[in-house]
Amino acid sequence: MLILFQILFTLFVLFAIVSVVKKKKEGLLGPKGTFFWIVFWLVAMGFVWWPDSTVIVANYLGIGRGTDLILYVSLAIIFFILFRLHVKIESIGRDITKVVRKDSLENLDKKD
Amino acid sequence: MFVAVVPAYNEESNIGSVVQSLFGHVDKVIVVDDNSSDNTFHIADKAGAIALHHRINRGQGASLQTGQNYALEIKADYVLHFDGDGQFDVEDIKPALEEIKKTNADILFGSRFLDNRTKIPWFKKYILFPPARLFNKIFGGVDLTDIHNGFRILNRKALEQIKIEQDRMAHATEIPAKAKKLGLKYIEFSVRVTYHRYGGGFLHGLGVVRDLLMGKFLK
Repeated sequence: MLILFQILFTLFVLFAIVSVVKKKKEGLLGPKGTFFWIVFWLVAMGFVWWPDSTVIVANYLGIGRGTDLILYVSLAIIFFILFRLHVKIESIGRDITKVVRKDSLENLDKKD
Repeated sequence: MFVAVVPAYNEESNIGSVVQSLFGHVDKVIVVDDNSSDNTFHIADKAGAIALHHRINRGQGASLQTGQNYALEIKADYVLHFDGDGQFDVEDIKPALEEIKKTNADILFGSRFLDNRTKIPWFKKYILFPPARLFNKIFGGVDLTDIHNGFRILNRKALEQIKIEQDRMAHATEIPAKAKKLGLKYIEFSVRVTYHRYGGGFLHGLGVVRDLLMGKFLK
């Protein structure tokens, strides 16, 4: 049963890595981002193929189970990404305001 | 030149009378229509205001700054912030302007707490306002008797220096905080507020806190 999951997950990782490379080529992802996501998916694949490896790392950090380690790390990463996204959205909002403001003032000048 | 900046969003039922009531107290009225879905823009225009239109709704703080940019362009000496829903009393404008001139202050903040003319809902007065006032004090280091009162007068110096970056409601905390940071002289002045609707509640306050915290991470 595990083998089936491992094969499916590997296919998914390949798909994810291909997407990352595509995004890089389109200029939507920088070199740091590309490196991070490729390493992230490769490590995730490593954990799926060798589940015991997570236990070694977990024990080293003082966490009981490997799955707990993955859960904690995943949550931390997700919250960090959410925070970054939130800041980015706010920043885009302020840029939109500047454009809207310029447009409204220019329209008034045209009217005059 | 004394100019009123009135941010307005879906205020077609009030904006005409607000604009007309302002003439006689200020030299020019700028209405910033924040992409209203009703007839606010045309009514303000017809009433004689300089009507600016945001193509996308950006919030009250953003509208005020748009109006301030235009006020700077037309070389205003003083700018009045005035709400578009008719909750303020135009009779407060003249004495407020005299006060800011007399005291040589850069910015005047309206306050509902300096006399008993305003009937404030008790939940706001006793539950919402005390922690909000404390938050303003901690966030901006400004000790004002009122919070989030939209009646303000800025002189040219304040107008040039204070750039509102909080697009939504948090500008009301941002402005006093910036006045303090920039070393501008500020005073409070008693104004009357007539409540036509309840206004911001607890969730509104939480939104303001979120915007202010987020603003700390933006350049």
